[in-house]
Amino acid sequence: MNRFDLLNKIQNILKDNLVICNIGLPSQELYKINDQPNFFYMLGSMGLSSSIGLGLSLSQNKNVISIDGDGSVLMNMNTLATIGNRAPSNYTLLIIDNGSYGSTGDQRTFTDENTSLKDVAIGAGCKNVVECSGDETVNALNKAIDDKDNSYVIISKINSGNVKIDPIPINPITIRDRFRKFIGIVKYL
Amino acid sequence: MKISKKIIDNLKKGGVDFYLSVPCKLLANMIDILEKDNDVYYSAVPREEEGMGICAGAYLGNKFPCIMMQNTGIGNSVNAIVSLLQLYQMPVVFLISYRGTPGEPVGAQGGMAKITEDILQTLRIPMLHCSSENDLEKISTFSKHAKVVESPVAILCDFNLMKDDK
Repeated sequence: MNRFDLLNKIQNILKDNLVICNIGLPSQELYKINDQPNFFYMLGSMGLSSSIGLGLSLSQNKNVISIDGDGSVLMNMNTLATIGNRAPSNYTLLIIDNGSYGSTGDQRTFTDENTSLKDVAIGAGCKNVVECSGDETVNALNKAIDDKDNSYVIISKINSGNVKIDPIPINPITIRDRFRKFIGIVKYL
Repeated sequence: MKISKKIIDNLKKGGVDFYLSVPCKLLANMIDILEKDNDVYYSAVPREEEGMGICAGAYLGNKFPCIMMQNTGIGNSVNAIVSLLQLYQMPVVFLISYRGTPGEPVGAQGGMAKITEDILQTLRIPMLHCSSENDLEKISTFSKHAKVVESPVAILCDFNLMKDDK
């Protein structure tokens, strides 16, 4: 299973929640599979999906899923400590760990060598850390969303590999405003 | 405490209700005030760039965020400012302790001080430079301005303004 297969598998869960999606191929693949106004596609700032989702979950009550990658989490690993100490129960971080920098040509990341993001997350103070296969991710995500008392970090171990895909054609302000309209903030759209 | 209280009062008057900080000794009093304030959200964060991301999420969730940091933090955050906050036009207030300005005892802080305003200018970030107590009155209007122009704005507080705020 690669990232595209996984996103396909979990799309029905994603569409009912606020989703922050990582820059590059993850966002482009998600857009192609099933574009929704409640999906915030990152067009820059690699590494910050986890952090954007955290800020969002601290600011309103709807469930938030941050879709991140192993390369991106390695770039902003300090945020696992912030999550471990501050994440509210409506927050789920889904790390799609394919051991490679998919968007830049599938160069290996350190999770394909010695680094365990599960161990890092636990060490950083995250409470409900689940490492699972791509197939098990649906159940893990459902459990995280159904649990109203706890935040979760799910590390979904899958294969590397991408599908051929175009950049996202919608502009950042549209992404922003339709997302905020879904939450009920923007009235003018 | 008087200066720090005035800054927070004016930020709150400007509508800011979500605060993060990467600590600085010049920000210590403000952090103390915010930790005891139940009307607004406050948390420390380990790194400024991450804070930019959390602020972006808070804005999406209808908060008006502020990140407090040293001017060194701007250097840590340039890509996040440009390709997140500015790309999506998100109002965030940067409350910056301006280390390396006159009165600063640590010589090494001078390097970032020399280029801080140049960086902010290059990024086209509106700046409010506070060097005396009177300047602090402008903070509330300046914060509201961030929302009007949908942009991050920077408030720079000089070393000498903050250092004796016991």
